[in-house]
Amino acid sequence: MASDSSPANFNNGPSSPGDSFSTPIANSSSPAHRRRRGRRQASIPSSAAATPSPNPSRFANSSSTPTPSRSTRRGRRPATSPTPAAAATPSSTDDFPPPSSDGGDDMEEATPTFVWGTNISVQDVKNAIQMFIKHFRETHELRNDVYGEGKYMRLIHRVLEIEGEWIDVDAHDVFNYDSDLYNKMVRYPLEVLAIFDIVLMDIVSLINPLFDKHVQVRIHNLKSSTSMRNLNPSDIEKMVSLKGMVIRCSSIIPEIREAVFRCIVCGYHSDPVVVDRGRITEPTTCSNQECLAKNSMTLVHNRCRFADKQIVRLQETPDEIPEGGTPHTVSLLMHDKLVDAGKPGDRVEITGIYRAMSVRVGPTQRTVKSLFKTYIDCLHIEKTDKSRMMSEDPMEVDKGSQRVEDDVQFDEDKVEELKELSKQPDIYERLTRSLAPNIWELDDIKKGLLCQLFGGNALKLPSGASFRGDINILLVGDPGTSKSQLLQYIHKLAPRGIYTSGRGSSAVGLTAYVTKDPETGETVLESGALVLSDRGICCIDEFDKMSDNARSMLHEVMEQQTVSIAKAGIIASLNARTSVLACANPSGSRYNPRLSVIDNIHLPPTLLSRFDLIYLVLDKADEQTDRRLAKHIVSLHFEDTQIAEQDVLDLATLTAYVSYARKNIHPQLSDEAAEELTRGYVEMRKRGNFPGSSKKVITATPRQIESLIRLSEALARIRFSEWVEMRDVTEAFRLLEVAMQQSATDHSTGTIDMDLITTGVSASERMRRENVLAATRNIIMEKIQLGGPSVRLLELLDELKKQSSGSEIHLHDLRNAVATLASEGFVVLQGDSVKRI
Amino acid sequence: MGGPPYDCMANPLGAVRLTFEKAIGSGSLTQTHPLAFDGKDWGALDLFRHFLFQESGLSQVPILNSKTMRWVQPNSLVRYRGMIQDMLGNEFYVGAYKDGNLWRTNKFMDVSQYPMGTPPDMCVWERRLLYCVPVPGQSSWTEPSCEMEPNRGMDWSSQNREKRRRMDDEDADPLDLVPDDEIKSSPITKKMREDGFPSPSPESRDSKTASSSSSMSTFQYVDKDNLPCLVKIYDSPESELKLNDVFEFIGVLTVDSELAVEKDDNDELSNSFYDDALVHLPPNKVPRLHCLVHRKLAVHDFLQSSPIMEPHLVKGIREALFRHLTTVLGNDEVAAHFMLLHLLSKVHARVDDVAVGKLSLNLMGLSKESATVFGTRLSQAFKSLLPFTHFIPLTLEYLNTASLAPKKDYQENRLIPGVLQLPEGSHIMVDETQLESGSLSSIGIENTKSLKNLMEFQKVEYDFQYYKMEMAADVQLLIFSEGKSNIVPADVVVPFQPSSLESFEIPVAEALEAWRWYLATVRLLPHSIGSEMQKVVEDDLVAARQADRSLGSRDFSRWLTMARLVSSSFGETCLSLEHWQMVKELERLRRERLK
Repeated sequence: MASDSSPANFNNGPSSPGDSFSTPIANSSSPAHRRRRGRRQASIPSSAAATPSPNPSRFANSSSTPTPSRSTRRGRRPATSPTPAAAATPSSTDDFPPPSSDGGDDMEEATPTFVWGTNISVQDVKNAIQMFIKHFRETHELRNDVYGEGKYMRLIHRVLEIEGEWIDVDAHDVFNYDSDLYNKMVRYPLEVLAIFDIVLMDIVSLINPLFDKHVQVRIHNLKSSTSMRNLNPSDIEKMVSLKGMVIRCSSIIPEIREAVFRCIVCGYHSDPVVVDRGRITEPTTCSNQECLAKNSMTLVHNRCRFADKQIVRLQETPDEIPEGGTPHTVSLLMHDKLVDAGKPGDRVEITGIYRAMSVRVGPTQRTVKSLFKTYIDCLHIEKTDKSRMMSEDPMEVDKGSQRVEDDVQFDEDKVEELKELSKQPDIYERLTRSLAPNIWELDDIKKGLLCQLFGGNALKLPSGASFRGDINILLVGDPGTSKSQLLQYIHKLAPRGIYTSGRGSSAVGLTAYVTKDPETGETVLESGALVLSDRGICCIDEFDKMSDNARSMLHEVMEQQTVSIAKAGIIASLNARTSVLACANPSGSRYNPRLSVIDNIHLPPTLLSRFDLIYLVLDKADEQTDRRLAKHIVSLHFEDTQIAEQDVLDLATLTAYVSYARKNIHPQLSDEAAEELTRGYVEMRKRGNFPGSSKKVITATPRQIESLIRLSEALARIRFSEWVEMRDVTEAFRLLEVAMQQSATDHSTGTIDMDLITTGVSASERMRRENVLAATRNIIMEKIQLGGPSVRLLELLDELKKQSSGSEIHLHDLRNAVATLASEGFVVLQGDSVKRI
Repeated sequence: MGGPPYDCMANPLGAVRLTFEKAIGSGSLTQTHPLAFDGKDWGALDLFRHFLFQESGLSQVPILNSKTMRWVQPNSLVRYRGMIQDMLGNEFYVGAYKDGNLWRTNKFMDVSQYPMGTPPDMCVWERRLLYCVPVPGQSSWTEPSCEMEPNRGMDWSSQNREKRRRMDDEDADPLDLVPDDEIKSSPITKKMREDGFPSPSPESRDSKTASSSSSMSTFQYVDKDNLPCLVKIYDSPESELKLNDVFEFIGVLTVDSELAVEKDDNDELSNSFYDDALVHLPPNKVPRLHCLVHRKLAVHDFLQSSPIMEPHLVKGIREALFRHLTTVLGNDEVAAHFMLLHLLSKVHARVDDVAVGKLSLNLMGLSKESATVFGTRLSQAFKSLLPFTHFIPLTLEYLNTASLAPKKDYQENRLIPGVLQLPEGSHIMVDETQLESGSLSSIGIENTKSLKNLMEFQKVEYDFQYYKMEMAADVQLLIFSEGKSNIVPADVVVPFQPSSLESFEIPVAEALEAWRWYLATVRLLPHSIGSEMQKVVEDDLVAARQADRSLGSRDFSRWLTMARLVSSSFGETCLSLEHWQMVKELERLRRERLK
């Protein structure tokens, strides 16, 4: 027994390499097994006691002594009887290294051996596995290189080089090569995996006879993965694959594998004793022939061999939980290298064998509780949350705040479905309709928001300059026009995002702040809302109520997309590639259409210009709109809600659509689109120059052309198109114009004026001011004598009004003009009277 | 075992066994292999259904609660009424096994009677585990009167005695003004009394210690009055039983003390393999019920009798109830109108985030003192009218300490109930007048958020630590506040103007019964609108909005909800012009008060 498990045994393997593949596996291992079986019978009293360790065989056969009929059957198929097979699962393979093939026991050569209880021939399975390992090639390899080694032979070589302990086998490969083998493997994993390991070891020892580590096979990526909810008794002892979230890990439990005993009388060390069914039998007598003392053996701890073991609880991910249910959990048993492979909070996909063990009421009681405790003997674990969308450069984000949408996995069907959707001619309109369907009208705003969700392409030039791809939007409007609802909706839809209210946000809360860790005293950087919504959308409500200090932090974020920190010895620049969606109320609670946007919202023009689209959400007294609203609400209350909204994508589809597009579609400008952009831009700038007008209005700035590019890219993305086409550009122009017409219209002339946004003063306003100034200067020149008596401002105003009959002049205009003149040293202003000097 | 073949009451397992033997055809040469059943029913359930519903055996089945727990025999048929508080997943058990040549079944049992064989000779089936608790905030009138045949034990008399004793207790308490009202049924109602209305009886002081921690852990439910129960469900689709549903489970009670042994020989390893929750729910504290038949309970099922629906009857009841509410509300008719509508509200549909049909009410203009006075009166009234009532005193301390939203504890693998884990149709009264200025802790902020969420969307976020899960709720919320409540913004804000404080008569039992029936029935009425009426409503809405731009979809939504409720309250299923006018009039009166 001892030699059985010592590595030296491997060396015997290749001594007869010829038969290692030809001798029936049953023969090769039967001697070892026979011995083992004999010993098991001796240890039955102890093993019959309730042990929590996995029962090696199906169900509760540990609780009953093997019946004679079964033991004869066992003799025939030793290597694959459930017992050693179970032992040979990765969990404990070391205990039973594949027996060498030098056994001289040939008497059963002729009888085919079967996996117990089935008609699966061990030899067939073994051959199939050998064929698979040696000859499996991936499809593209098949074409190119027929004579090279297969995928798994290369893997084995690699494992030998790095002295690895396992080989990952993709179940899809097994299926593609031999679907029969795959089915057997899934249905009888214990047996088939044991054979797999044996075959593997045979190959390994052929390649490198001195390789003394045990190489195990780890299956992953099964054809179908089960939902935790659907595990049922028929899955017991089958290979299953599950997705879930690790919620709890036990501490690492050292599990004894081999024990060494020492005689306290003579000091003789026993041969290592191997674990059998979770128990070690202590030798009752010293095996030293000269001693033979009874009950004298004690365990020598530091000569025993231990293996790591851990119990992990896996919980369903939220998307699998049906309405009105709570998440299910399942226990996983992890061994050796799998220990600590998953931490609480990780989303993982595991492959393992579903096991059940019976529960006893007590060691002495005859009654057995009719219950089974189930767990999964884990073979392979894979973290799935690496594929979180759009996080090519993930920052540390608090896991707790992540929402379900983060983790949308795209299977092929879904992708097909989305692609099908994208081909529809009216997809743009349909998506617009699906966006916040219970908010009425505001179609153009919704289109803008849609563009923001999809986003443009970020560009980084080799020179280091980078252009953001994120689209920033500001909504300004009357209270009660569902701005906040739109914001909330976008926040819910956005892949990652933070919703904050301007009133409660400080500069550090938005960007990042430095704190001292209370325990260690180290200074640590904590991310604020903008950094947390990196590659997402940061929704800021009540933008106007934000403190100036906080707002100034946004300058950097919105153009450079970084947050720079220089505080407490930490100098850092954090990425904040976020789109900002802000909404603001006008400074008087209602929007005053006679004032410019700047006057209506008290926002610095420098910040305003960083928004690609500024929408005015005005509540116009429009009976048509009101009627639609009324209809909508009545139907909400009285009709079947399904009728009220048709042809609208549900939130899940919409989210999937957006995330797929953001992840996989990276449109580029086509030549004609680029030309159209240039043409349109020139046109826009030209519009400022009215023939015969001396004033110069800037209708477009370079910032606008960047916005246009981003918008057209987003529009192409909506169609899942890799090329930005003419129509995208046209639509982008339209969107920009709609937004600008509302916000950048100079109310006195009705033309678009970017100066309004960039400086806060429109060109016509500036001209008017100059006119007033000139007129005032003239009047003063006429009326007031140099060094003469002073004139009251009101008198001047009357005079001014008389002269310029056309336009209305206010007192404050006059004041401004006089102030300018005073600064020129032309007049002196004392209280309300003006004196010329 | 044995016993008469069809004594489903005393020996349900015997009946199960008989049907099983019949089904597999034991004794005959051709036995059906139990694998064929695959855990499904083989005819036992029909037998019980027949017994319970055809032979009206249901009323004879004792109801399991802390009182009956003392005399109910293990392995007999009992019924349990409760809310599904947590789902503990599935359990695999040996459903059938071969004992010698005989197939035996373990279904509806915890422990097998005979030694079990090995794999080919046994079938593993599965069942679901549900952790149920008595419905939080259950009013005393919902407790069924036991109509048990006298020979089934001393139950009836002893129950009566029990009841009387408790009544005596109350009478002995001079400060307790609550008349014949057994509100001591759950810790939450106790808490409500304790925190809301100072009643310094020593009894309730005791209960405070119990109830204050009850929100922290379910263990506290193992107090004298509250009996949780672990229900094992067989043969029913998962979608049938949902979290927070109120059910009646009829099944076999097992309280095997043997099973408790399990706890002793746990080492760390096995411990983590067992469903942790079970380790913490020893059978001696939490009885196991192997459910044979279950049915969802509506408010109707709690009523003792059900009058026949007749239009003129409904109007009469409505009028009487309205009078009653008016008196309770100190002769404030407008408030009483809104109160009636509020009590009838119910979430009818959900469109995106909008829960259609809810109507939360905010009575404002109350001082601390008047809130206490009217709070007491109202809570009494509610307790006699509604099945599940709650009271939340919105103090800073409460907000900062209470756990409103349920939370998953992964150590115990249990969902720890929060105050807001409530079944459909619960009523919550929130007293904001007691709130003073101060700072909220992070818990406080979470709690206010939960309340607000419940108010606005009728949803509660359950905290599963790694993520949150929204659960739909359907709870009526009533808020007292001095000014308009901003912490929990209600659908309707009504300035409360009581004119008198005359004491009101305690309504007769028959009237109460009729009102309960009315409240339960009328809110379920279907509703529709004729196309002409629809036109009128739309025109009115448009006109209103043209006149006042501040009106938004929220207001319109509220009006339509009210319209529906007004029309239902008269027992009608179609909106009429008269009722629409009434809504507009009510709204006008309300707005006048707001000015």
